[in-house]
Amino acid sequence: MHRPFNQREKNKMRLLLPILALLMAAPLVAKEELVTLPERDSVQLTIYNSEDLTLVRERRRLTFKQGDNRIQFSWANTLIDPTSVEFEPVGDEAKKAIEVRDTSYPAESHEMLIWTVSCNQPAGYEVQISYFTSGISWSAEYSGIVDATEDNVDLTAYVTVHNHSGEEYENASVRLVVGVIHLVERIVDLAQPGESTGRAWRRGDVEEMERALEDAKDEVNEDGMARPKEIQKAGLSEYYIYTVGGTETIPNGWSKRLRSFEVKGVPLKTVYRLEPDKFGWAFTKVLEFKNDEEHKLGKEPLPDGLLRLYRDAGEGRLSFMGALASKYIPKNEEVKVNVGPDAECTLKEKRTSLKKKDLVFNQWSQLVGYTTVEMFELEVKNFRARDVEVEIHRSMAGDFDFASEDKWEKHDADTQKIHFTLKAGSERKLALTVTTRQGTNSRK
Amino acid sequence: MRWLIPSLILTTLALSGPLSAKEELVTLPKRDTVQLTIYNSVDLTLVRETRELTFKQGNNRLQFSWANTLIDPTSVEFSPLTNADKLEVLDTSYPAESNQMLIWTVAADAAVSAKVEISYFTSGISWGAEYHGMLSTDERSMKLTGYVGVSNNSGEEYEDAHVRLVVGSIHVVEEIAALAGGARQQRMKEAYGKMRDADRAENQKKDIIKEGLSEYYIYAVEGTETIPNGWSKRLESFVQTGVPLQTVYTWDARKYGNYLAKLLVFKNDEAHKLGKEPLPAGIVRLYRDAGGNRLSFVGMVVTDYIPKNDEVKVNAGVDPEVQIKSKRTSFKKENLTFGWNGNRQYLRGWDTVEDFEIELKNFRNRDVDFEVNIVISGDCDVDSKTASTKIDFQTHRFNLNIKAGESTKIVYNLRTRNGSNVRNK
Amino acid sequence: MNKRLIFSLAGAALVASVVGISQPDTAEARIKLATLPDKEAVVVRFDHPNQVLVEEERTISLQKGLNTVDYSWAGTNIDKGSIVFRAVDVNSKVEILSTSYPPGEAALTWSISSPDARSEKFRLSYLMANIQRETDYRAIVSNDEKSLTFRHYFKIRNWSGGTFDSADFITRDGKTFEKGLDQGEAKRVLVNKWEKVSLTKEYVYDQYRSSEGKVMTDYVLKNTKEMGLGAIPLEYGKVRIYQDDGKGTTAFTGEDWGQFTPIGDDMRLNIGIAQDIKVELKKMVNDVENRRGNVYDTNEVDEYEIKNFKDSEAELILVLRVQGEWEMQKDSEGYTSYERIDNETIKFKVKCPAKGTPIKLKFHYKRLNNW
Repeated sequence: MHRPFNQREKNKMRLLLPILALLMAAPLVAKEELVTLPERDSVQLTIYNSEDLTLVRERRRLTFKQGDNRIQFSWANTLIDPTSVEFEPVGDEAKKAIEVRDTSYPAESHEMLIWTVSCNQPAGYEVQISYFTSGISWSAEYSGIVDATEDNVDLTAYVTVHNHSGEEYENASVRLVVGVIHLVERIVDLAQPGESTGRAWRRGDVEEMERALEDAKDEVNEDGMARPKEIQKAGLSEYYIYTVGGTETIPNGWSKRLRSFEVKGVPLKTVYRLEPDKFGWAFTKVLEFKNDEEHKLGKEPLPDGLLRLYRDAGEGRLSFMGALASKYIPKNEEVKVNVGPDAECTLKEKRTSLKKKDLVFNQWSQLVGYTTVEMFELEVKNFRARDVEVEIHRSMAGDFDFASEDKWEKHDADTQKIHFTLKAGSERKLALTVTTRQGTNSRK
Repeated sequence: MRWLIPSLILTTLALSGPLSAKEELVTLPKRDTVQLTIYNSVDLTLVRETRELTFKQGNNRLQFSWANTLIDPTSVEFSPLTNADKLEVLDTSYPAESNQMLIWTVAADAAVSAKVEISYFTSGISWGAEYHGMLSTDERSMKLTGYVGVSNNSGEEYEDAHVRLVVGSIHVVEEIAALAGGARQQRMKEAYGKMRDADRAENQKKDIIKEGLSEYYIYAVEGTETIPNGWSKRLESFVQTGVPLQTVYTWDARKYGNYLAKLLVFKNDEAHKLGKEPLPAGIVRLYRDAGGNRLSFVGMVVTDYIPKNDEVKVNAGVDPEVQIKSKRTSFKKENLTFGWNGNRQYLRGWDTVEDFEIELKNFRNRDVDFEVNIVISGDCDVDSKTASTKIDFQTHRFNLNIKAGESTKIVYNLRTRNGSNVRNK
Repeated sequence: MNKRLIFSLAGAALVASVVGISQPDTAEARIKLATLPDKEAVVVRFDHPNQVLVEEERTISLQKGLNTVDYSWAGTNIDKGSIVFRAVDVNSKVEILSTSYPPGEAALTWSISSPDARSEKFRLSYLMANIQRETDYRAIVSNDEKSLTFRHYFKIRNWSGGTFDSADFITRDGKTFEKGLDQGEAKRVLVNKWEKVSLTKEYVYDQYRSSEGKVMTDYVLKNTKEMGLGAIPLEYGKVRIYQDDGKGTTAFTGEDWGQFTPIGDDMRLNIGIAQDIKVELKKMVNDVENRRGNVYDTNEVDEYEIKNFKDSEAELILVLRVQGEWEMQKDSEGYTSYERIDNETIKFKVKCPAKGTPIKLKFHYKRLNNW
């Protein structure tokens, strides 16, 4: 059974929204005066992907009376951190006219607070209420379409925002933070009634970041047709912030995927690699590009996410190549996509000879030291109809000497590597000799 | 039991529309011929049947089903034998609702009639070989009869079938019974319960034609056979009189145990009036004419496949008329060498020197051949006045012939070096 | 004003709505939307070794401005993250703005922006689970065992939950066939047939493969043009081998798993045991020598007595294994050639005379520096 989604949206319960009630005059129990709430004028979400954390800022216009105004804010059934809720006048005029004198957390409810705000110039003012919530997250995804010759890839990056916060945010402006921030307590725990243990969160970190971004402008496309949302990227300290142009509505439970960028014709290199440290023990096909200008990228780091590669199968059709979970890729860093072993380019290693020499005995005629001389042959076969690049890393252990007629170079203390091009349909044999001193012969 | 037979339904479709809509069922003729190729190394039989079918122009759908049989669905093949250029199998479909049915879509260029072959693997039919050897009273020759027996537990009766038996060990990567799935084990049990031996039912002798193919031999039974489910049937494969036979009394503890085994030996070659074809693996039973048309059992052996020119040895067990006795007649230590540990002397090496005597007695009224194998271990030298052959690094063999009623002794000496006296072991 | 379209996957639901049977409640909604795109050009691609990519084309009538398109695939198992949705025309002005995923539903919604009212063809590509594929081969070997006819079959079974009314199925090597495929149904199709493929027959005694001195019969096919193949890499699959018996029919002579064979490589198939060649091993010398402390060498002679009971001479390949450091000695004899495959493996070729005349391979070697 399928139902158009907009019906469900309309049926959505609005009751879960944090409720802001303006209560005029004290005492609380006696002369409550409920003011009809204005719509929130704007809401901004700053979503972190390293932690289950979202900073929500909403602005509303409220009318203040001379003297003390009591403002009640409640958030039943949401995942808001009560310790993080802040009230702030917006604009110089408001800042001069109103001030928060105290915040009280009534004993009878864990999901409510009351601000006492004094006003010296009765009028309507814009205020900002901000708080942390959990349950909203975002993730990156990449989709690459490799051309038939595997020389280029058209790369599209996506960001997907997932809303499980218990609240629908309508027409929110969305900013995404790439990078790992430090949290001493999980917001989802702080949101539990009765669990509030006070402010442990260094709010300053986030606020500093926020201020730096105040200039970021929303991109509006008023040329008759909507364009994919421009996602602005800006670096800040150790973080990157992606700002989604315009506003988004993400109902509770929904996810929404937006295009982050699209770059056509990123130059791609294919290298067959045996690098046990990075790719395991299989001789594997690796597609490579760099997050730099030369590769038409490098404008921003690429957040970790799933990368799916498709090959152009002709006539615009696709063929699936592989998928991998990519780590965070800084600017100028290489991206190596392991698409798995390819039966059309193979590597076989065999030990062609084993000899022992320099046997050393102790006074009881027991063997205590010897040296092995082992010869190995590596055979690389390229069954493909195109030239391929090959890189092989080979590690040894112990006190060894490495010798080969082929042009190996030292990668690290225990590893030699070689890189070469193998012509279509050809094969190459590499021969190497490893001499290993064992027992008392070892100098290590 | 007709319902067990794979059934074939031809449906012709005007259009390749939904299956349920425009099917036309055509009554099918009986299968014209059926050929069974039965393997003995694995539980597998290749069934080939031919039928005359009429095709309409366009796409024809042929339904083939095999409920309650042991057919491997992946093996079923369709091929036109006549008018093959006008017919093409477009695909084979295995419908979801039945795993004992398939549908071929066959395109016909024109309305044609064609002889088609349907082939498939089934399990549950097997064959085996058996041999009977009738020894002459002097045991110097025998009459050898070869049989092949076919058992049918396939769940199906094959009537008037051409039967071929494959001698050889083919490589099969998956068991046909497993591919056929289902209640194979149960079926086998039931079949054994009602198995009847149709051995005596044969009333005329049939030739079995033998031909080589690759690494195998194919035995084709002349004419056709009807083999009901649950039955087995034995056919004579060959009879050969006057096959020369040799008797060798053999002492080889590793092969036959610690006794003197009477081995009756013949070869599958021309000199033994055999050698026309290899002999399939089976049981060889030897009998002796005990006089008065009575038989006495001599021995039996389960043989592997016997290639042409290879040898067959049938162990007839112990013969009280031929005896062996072995004893050690002397034991000494020599060449003791000593070393010093501080001021204490200790034994480092020594040789053991042993004399053995093997006595062989022939109480029979004929000369007999003996083969005696001795096994040594360690750094050991063998010395004997009786000639011997080195079989491998630890086995020496004496071959002797002893006249009727006589006896003889083999004397040999073993020198075994121990401790530091060991030279090369 | 958003225009909302609903369509669903290539699978059962769509076929149902086209044919007009079952699911009347949803079918009504779709039929009312006359713009329900007809399923065009469905392609099912098997070129990835373990994933199946399905592509379908949909023509959608768009209005100027923002359009919302719903897509659902209830009952089938598709990887929603893998969905690639593009206009077929690479220069299309139509833009896909965002994709929204409702909670707990196999569905999504695209926001599509169009500069004008138009009919646009889109292509949807996605990975679909539970479509199984299998390759198998039939080889009909000539009576003289010099060549064979090699048939390559491709079999697919559809457990995806959807029904393909008609689709182009594309094998790894690019062969296309158009078929319908019901849920649960399997289809087997002949995709390639190569005639007169050259064949080499080998008798192999390999200590790792042979038990009890049995000799294996192998067929070796070379996947090259010269040998009659070489068009495509050969997929892994079961090869059933039949031989022409010279009487107009064939006999089954064995089967083996054919390993994936790239162009230029060999496919080796074991068909069975060569019963007419027997190998018997005897160790004739097994000495210790050159003792130094607890270290010693061995001096060993292995004698392989080979009997070929066939009517003609045959060549036997013996693959023998010795562990550790060792050297073959010069007085080894009885072979026509040998090759040290690697440190542990040596391969001898022995010409075996016909009719059971025994020939001996003397393999003399020393294992050095044992302790």
